[in-house]
Amino acid sequence: MNSSSRNTVILLVIVGFLTVSPVIMLLFGSFSRGLSVSGAFTLDKYIAAYTDPDLGEIINNTVIFVFGSSLLATLLALFLSYLNNRTDITWKFLFRIISITPMMIPHILFSVSWVLLLNPSNGIFNLILKQLFGLKNSLFNIYSLGGMILVEGLLDMPIAYLIIAPAMASFDVNLEESSRVCGANTLQTLIRITLPVLRPAILAAFILCIVRCMASFAVPSVIGMPGRIYVLATHIYRTISIGFAIDYGKAAAIGMSVLVISVILIIIYRYLTAESEKYVTISSRGYRPAVIELKRAKVPLFFVLGLLLFILIVLPVLVLVYTSLVPYSMIPSSRALSMMNLNHWREVLKDPISILSLKNSIFLGIFGATIGIILSIFVAYTIVRIKTRTSGILESLSFLSFSFPGIVIGVGFMWFFVRTPIYATIWALLIGYIATYIPYGIRPLSSAFIQIHKHLEESSRVFGAKPLTTMRRIIVPLLIPGITSGWILMATMFLRELSLSVVLARPGSEVMAVQILRFASDGLWGRLSALGIIMIVISTSLVALVTFIGIKLKP
Amino acid sequence: MEIQIKELSKYYYTDGKIIKALDNINIKIPGKRICTLLGPSGCGKTTLLRCIVGLEKPDSGEIKIGDEVVWCNKKGINIPTEKRGLAMVFQTYAIWPHMNVYNNIAYPLQIKNFPKEEIYKRVKKILNFVKLDGFEKRLATNISGGQQQRVALARALIAEPKVILFDEPLSNLDAKLREETRKELRNFLSELKITAAYVTHDQIEALALSDVIAVMNSGYIVEVGSPRQIYFNTTHQFVADFIGRANLIKAIVKSQKKDKTIVDSEIGTFICQKRDFPVESKVILCIRPEFIYLKEDNYSGEGNIITGIIENLVFVGETCEGEMSIGNKRLMIKIESESSLKKGDVVNFVVSSDHCLLVSD
Repeated sequence: MNSSSRNTVILLVIVGFLTVSPVIMLLFGSFSRGLSVSGAFTLDKYIAAYTDPDLGEIINNTVIFVFGSSLLATLLALFLSYLNNRTDITWKFLFRIISITPMMIPHILFSVSWVLLLNPSNGIFNLILKQLFGLKNSLFNIYSLGGMILVEGLLDMPIAYLIIAPAMASFDVNLEESSRVCGANTLQTLIRITLPVLRPAILAAFILCIVRCMASFAVPSVIGMPGRIYVLATHIYRTISIGFAIDYGKAAAIGMSVLVISVILIIIYRYLTAESEKYVTISSRGYRPAVIELKRAKVPLFFVLGLLLFILIVLPVLVLVYTSLVPYSMIPSSRALSMMNLNHWREVLKDPISILSLKNSIFLGIFGATIGIILSIFVAYTIVRIKTRTSGILESLSFLSFSFPGIVIGVGFMWFFVRTPIYATIWALLIGYIATYIPYGIRPLSSAFIQIHKHLEESSRVFGAKPLTTMRRIIVPLLIPGITSGWILMATMFLRELSLSVVLARPGSEVMAVQILRFASDGLWGRLSALGIIMIVISTSLVALVTFIGIKLKP
Repeated sequence: MEIQIKELSKYYYTDGKIIKALDNINIKIPGKRICTLLGPSGCGKTTLLRCIVGLEKPDSGEIKIGDEVVWCNKKGINIPTEKRGLAMVFQTYAIWPHMNVYNNIAYPLQIKNFPKEEIYKRVKKILNFVKLDGFEKRLATNISGGQQQRVALARALIAEPKVILFDEPLSNLDAKLREETRKELRNFLSELKITAAYVTHDQIEALALSDVIAVMNSGYIVEVGSPRQIYFNTTHQFVADFIGRANLIKAIVKSQKKDKTIVDSEIGTFICQKRDFPVESKVILCIRPEFIYLKEDNYSGEGNIITGIIENLVFVGETCEGEMSIGNKRLMIKIESESSLKKGDVVNFVVSSDHCLLVSD
């Protein structure tokens, strides 16, 4: 066995351990008597889980929530991609902002800001409307399926955009032009040519959104649970952490179906993305797509874009800053202004658990992302450069965790760690995070490796550079963009991680998102907002810093 | 149906500079003929084609297809592409990847809401015409480049358009297939008696396919003529140099005879094709290498005789290509491949006066 195939096997063992062991634990746990995985074989957990009288309604809610928000996210993304690639709308750089900022505003804070705006008892927007029109009752109730769909849809839109927009940009414009020459007008061309050619990409985006919505925990917990609207993720959470009859086995039994569905969807997703790449024809000429002149529609459409930008980025931050400064929920007014103080901030900074969660999250973000990215470099290199059957298995395995719903896989990890000394420590979280989010590191790096043509490396060797020198002088400098974007993606995800953490965090290993969820369920909105702003500032400055370092290091 | 283009101009603005993509173009593309727009890349030929089809908007001028004005900035007329009733074969073929061959070809008729049976009949017929019988159900992405090219042609032909436009349709095929397809295309088009405007940068393609060639350079039309006119009797240095290869020699007109013009050139006196240049004016003498023949010992014609030293000769299969020198001037030559000449030989060549072209300096 030569050294490269030995390394491939080592990587396969590491990645296999990270991705397969929680699934196996989950499987054993769901068939085991009692609270551990080693009890006698039983079907009781499945029977209990699937005969639960509430399950029908929960599944119903889940289906509506998942499809509704995926549809909203995909349609919004399609609209934005079309606007960016095919029309003469002004300020196209705004689209880049829309596609990357949601990384900096954690999902849980985004959900909280909508609760603060639209909750029926004292949502700021509701209060303003009541005052303006002298209404008795609140106009909007965020604690509804509609509210959940709206927020989750907005949150998942960037993911759909990142899939649809490149497909639309690489679209061969001749395909549309030849349709027009054949006598079809713009609308006919859109319906008969543009959308069908983009269908694999659109479907891929939709399916990825479905997987993400099924795994979503922030929206269902912050918005759904107060309105007593349970979906599968919160149902699992309720089974393992609320009340007296905690039953991990039952949660695992439900989780298994969620996991299986996710895995199937991710396999379909991979097939569709491969299909959509097949459709990309290389246009020989650099003709820029004939952009549609929006004329009179330009201003209203730009207004829509501005509104989206405001809703996605400005509004949540504003609401949180405001809430962190006022003593209780009130309409922004001169009275509110005069009552503003830093009490919530002081309380948060005095609160030992908040400080601990802050430290833990920063550690997990920086250290976890660094470990994660190092592992990703090796895995990506093996996948792209060493094309053996083992590396093929490695690729499939590393893709598997894409489908992991955090809360489900968290139960598997918990069973795994409970037999080891790292249970209830921050290391358990670290391993869990890397296992769940490794695809986000591998993907930018493998595309970077694909771009570094093998000849670049080989010619360095031909001219006499040793392998290590080649690595230092050629490969690493060319990889820097991939490394930075992978690191940023992982670090921001680790900083805001919620769904896995709610299962794995124990006293002493609290993280920020869990602490925020705790504040939310206690109704401590002021402290929550203060901690939330700190969280946003940390992730934003991390992104800025690493981007800056990446630019500096660029050859 | 003929296409008339009057004073057509199109500008691009990049980096604050104005680039004239089309500079006051006037041309009449004759009906039921194949007209080629030929020129180096960036000469504006594709832009002109895209203006005709309506995918690009000119800045001024007029385009008339048949009797209908499709674009005129003064009258504010701009018929959209889809209403111009044209057909086009794109360089990338633009075969829709989500449709099979049948639907790709049927598309123009489907858009015009033809009855299903009629569409079926026509597609069958056209598939037979382009020799793609039995390919109906094949996915458009699963056929070869040459077959895609024929699907694109079939799609262009099916609606029996007034005019077909071709944008370098053969440039993505390999050399051998390109030659075959070129011959096929010529047969198809002459059989159908259709008006075709054909853009290419390949002079052989242009010479072989066209009834009329319009040579373009940096946004304007240099010369329009039949392939033979363009090749044998051009009046422009650019055309002489671009079509085939030409030795360009500086010369001064010495005297005008009844049907010949006599010049003094860098390499001696030449009797040339008649051109109306004033005596003593500076001109350029163009001689194509393939018309420089070896002088046979018993030659007694009236051709110009050149004596030169062979500088190099390279065997390229069909012929030997090389250079000879006459004083300081070097001329490209082309001689038969079995020749035993070698470097340093002093040789006499003959060039007929009909093949000595004079163009303005």
